[in-house]
Amino acid sequence: MSDRLERLINLVIALREARVPMTAEEIREKVAGYGQTDPSAFRRMFERDKADLRDLGVPLVTAPVDRWRDVEGYRIRPEDYDLPPIALEPAELAALAVAAQVTGLDGGRALRKLEVDAPEGGRPGTLPALAVSVDAPHRDALLAAQLEGRRVRFPYRPPGRPSAVRTLDPAGLVHRAGRWYVVGTDVDRMARRAFRLDRIEGDVVDVGVAADRSHRLEGPVGVTDVVPGTGESLEARVAASPTVSWLVARRARGHGTPTDDGRTSYTVSARDADDLLSWFLPLGPEAELLGPPGIRAQVAAALDRLEAAHR
Amino acid sequence: MNATLARLDRILAMVPWLLANPGAHLDEVAERFETTAGEIAADLDILGYCGVPGYGGGDLIEATVVGDRVHVRMADFFRRPLPLGMREGVTLLLAGRTLLATPGLRDPASLRGAVERLERWLGVAEVAVDLGDADESLLGRLREAAEELRVVRLTYRSTGAERETERDVEAWAVLAAHGSWYLRGFCRAAGAPRDFRLDRIREASGTGQRGAPPPAGAMSTPPRYVPSDDDVEVLLDLDPRAVWLADAVPGAALRDERTLAFPARSMEWAARLVLSLAGDARVLEPASLAEHVRDLVRATRSQYDATGCDRP
Repeated sequence: MSDRLERLINLVIALREARVPMTAEEIREKVAGYGQTDPSAFRRMFERDKADLRDLGVPLVTAPVDRWRDVEGYRIRPEDYDLPPIALEPAELAALAVAAQVTGLDGGRALRKLEVDAPEGGRPGTLPALAVSVDAPHRDALLAAQLEGRRVRFPYRPPGRPSAVRTLDPAGLVHRAGRWYVVGTDVDRMARRAFRLDRIEGDVVDVGVAADRSHRLEGPVGVTDVVPGTGESLEARVAASPTVSWLVARRARGHGTPTDDGRTSYTVSARDADDLLSWFLPLGPEAELLGPPGIRAQVAAALDRLEAAHR
Repeated sequence: MNATLARLDRILAMVPWLLANPGAHLDEVAERFETTAGEIAADLDILGYCGVPGYGGGDLIEATVVGDRVHVRMADFFRRPLPLGMREGVTLLLAGRTLLATPGLRDPASLRGAVERLERWLGVAEVAVDLGDADESLLGRLREAAEELRVVRLTYRSTGAERETERDVEAWAVLAAHGSWYLRGFCRAAGAPRDFRLDRIREASGTGQRGAPPPAGAMSTPPRYVPSDDDVEVLLDLDPRAVWLADAVPGAALRDERTLAFPARSMEWAARLVLSLAGDARVLEPASLAEHVRDLVRATRSQYDATGCDRP
């Protein structure tokens, strides 16, 4: 194991220091570790070494040795190899380390690289007593596709229907109510769609073409991309009895005002009528929706439906 | 990644750090790169055989440990680590963006700065994170209590009973899960670890006491519903619009297109769930639940007999 490790390190150094690309033959002769191998054994070793280095992110490229002969060589350009100076402050690096801990996301490899620019710090002090678990399959692949402007394809299973392959130009990711969604342009339907990551069955594949940026379906992603219902946001007034007034106050805008009958009235806002009803109805007889009249009528109608269903 | 490549990966990140921090203590290096001092010494040994072709004096890396202090010289080609790969950069970026979505985050300026700098290199991530609303002051107070392992006295409206109880809780941590925020801790009344939803905590006050630190692994599982023998099975007839409930209720399964079955610890909780569906769900079983829903609806409905009248 240490022989191979030594050889790989020497190969990186040789290619990074080479002024002109090295041919395979030169590599066999000059780089420590390849000596005493016959040409076919060398080929196999070198092919495997190249592939492994590229997997690690070493920017090993092929280039003509000179402009007169048609001979390819190998090199590592220092400007591609060296981490650019991202120049995070020690406090910024420490904040990222905390974020990786709190979210349970594996940032270790990236953090160790970045720490080179923060010799004095970069390690979190005391961790906040906070846990925000947001791991999901395919999340990194899809976000990378958004950042790089790539088109992707994946098998998707909508609830209660068979799985089908979707082709998407990702516009971004949304996390809501504990779930991740990818939002983007569904290329086959030419419509903006959201897909739940945990309903993707199988792999997310890079189709091999750039996402089409000419269509106008992109734009900033937001929670509204994944929230069912497209109703209009609204405000309503709610009177709460003392037992539930603190519950209503949590959602209310501003302080409550006392009513004549010993309750407290609050103004609450909601995404739309459905959002308001699903929050308000479970309060039961301890709260009353005072207005506006249209919403009050919807509450009464919902209660009538509930009563009819349970007669 | 096999062992050789994992080791190469560590060495390519470690040498730049050692060049920037000459004379670092062997133990610190080991801790930072998550391995043993022995492994680090072995890495340095191998580096001593590496260098520029020619491999004569002046070509090889000098890597020494003198009195537990590490020195690396003649390795200018390894002055910088490899660039951030897209995937690893994305993971870090996402961690940062997620933490920024926490209500009442203390000192978010450093994190915001870090995320902005990363995005300058990787591109601007289109990510919207909604961890759920929470009372910022309550969340902050509970988080501080947990950081100092304090015992808090909660006035809590439990999901099962729709009535309030008081209990002392050894605070461990504040968690975000399924779009809600929770306090996790050791509940002294129950004699067991419990999760408390923040939006059901009416009041939290200090007791002046301190609790024991949480056992290892206490934070590894998200808050979830634990089935019990006392659970009652509920059957609902669902309107197609409410089929999403199958995904939202723990332990729920669709018997057929319209019939949802799930275990309920308390009839009160199940009744409030049915109310929240505004008539899109009808209780099939048990009969006592249907009755309870009817009673609640009638008591509520009587307030609206003057429908359309917006009281002052």
